[in-house]
Amino acid sequence: MKQNGAKLAFVAGIFFLCLSLSPRASSQDANATLSGKITDPTGAVVPDAKISVKNVATGQSTESQASLAGLYSVPNLAPGDYEVSVSAEGFATKVTKVTLSVGATQTMNLALQSVLSLGDLGFPVAQTQGSAADQARLDKRSHMLKIHQKLGLIDTFPLVATVITGAGAGGKSTSTNDRYLHAALGSATATLYFASAYYAICAPKIPGTQTRGPIRAHKILAWIHGPGMILTPILGAMAFDQKSKGERVHGIARAHGPVAIVTASAYGAAILAVTFKW
Amino acid sequence: MNKKFPIAALLLALPTLAQTDTQWVLSQSTLTYHITHPLHQVDGVSHAARGKGVCRSGECDFLIAVPVKSFESGDTNRDLHMLQVTRGGEFPIVTVRTSLPEAASGSATIHADLEIHFAGQTALYKQVAFQQVTQGSETKITGTIPTTLTDFKIDPPSLLTMPVKNEIPIRVEMTWQKQK
Repeated sequence: MKQNGAKLAFVAGIFFLCLSLSPRASSQDANATLSGKITDPTGAVVPDAKISVKNVATGQSTESQASLAGLYSVPNLAPGDYEVSVSAEGFATKVTKVTLSVGATQTMNLALQSVLSLGDLGFPVAQTQGSAADQARLDKRSHMLKIHQKLGLIDTFPLVATVITGAGAGGKSTSTNDRYLHAALGSATATLYFASAYYAICAPKIPGTQTRGPIRAHKILAWIHGPGMILTPILGAMAFDQKSKGERVHGIARAHGPVAIVTASAYGAAILAVTFKW
Repeated sequence: MNKKFPIAALLLALPTLAQTDTQWVLSQSTLTYHITHPLHQVDGVSHAARGKGVCRSGECDFLIAVPVKSFESGDTNRDLHMLQVTRGGEFPIVTVRTSLPEAASGSATIHADLEIHFAGQTALYKQVAFQQVTQGSETKITGTIPTTLTDFKIDPPSLLTMPVKNEIPIRVEMTWQKQK
């Protein structure tokens, strides 16, 4: 019985000796543990905070996450200087330094500070939250107005040509070719004009927008050249018909020329009003 | 004993004083962006910024925010186009965050690291210089933030196929009120 006890003591001694000489065990003993609690400015726990512990000498980082109770523990840290970074949603990231000694179990409780939010500035939620639909409306508006602008600029060429050929088509001139050319150019002008107008009229409106600046003059002038572009071809067709019958242009058709000049002038002014704006 | 009491009281009070929050509130502001195009120059102005600063333990965190659509350049069409290119429909607010040491409030010039969130992008501007003048509880701050379109991945608007310059510096004039 006595011998058995001596054997048992010997075996146990060998076991504990091996255990104490094990390099892994000694390394673990030498390593330190950093733990603590993450709270907010009121002292309430902050759950799920992310903790990053960076060894200043080696640059190696160890990541951890606090529990729902705000508790964290980062074991197996070699002794040395560390930079501890704690982050959580709605809080400013807190960075602090700590020195861990051999085998220490150090407690470091950290209080996070709330980050200022747009709500703190008194902005209504509706004003701070954009939407893809709002952006899509703006994109569509810009896209349509760019087409309006391009077609409008292109339309100046047949418009000027129509005005120039008008001199040969009207008055005492009896040239059929000049009349046809003038009518063809006028038709091209009107077609491009109404295509351009479609893109301006149908471009999405942005609610709560007041018209200011040169675009206001551009829109006012549209009330002159718009009806003019409808009236001019009608009067032109009447004048064309009268001339084709060998008659002098008479009656309301005589207004074709003056209406066309006013329309073309208002159109030119509308373009100039916004030419130097994008 | 009588002499020691005030010193002891002061020492006991110091930690409390250090933890006292000081707040700054933006009372007036003028923010002006400047755009350069080969044919013309444009300034867009907003007075709608709101801001707040909270100082704790000697460090002050500031947040300034301004609605994108509050900038006016004198032409509705251009303003709406700017709103579109800067993706203001999706990201309607520009925010600026910065942290400064509380001691900086005594300097004539401050250098701030700014984190600007605009058009769905975040850009950092290091050591932007601002001049400040303090009168009573009021501090006036002026400076220019060297913002560029590429910092926020904004396609430059163009006129007659000529794009505007990439640089769109923002002139800042702000009046802050200190509150305890």
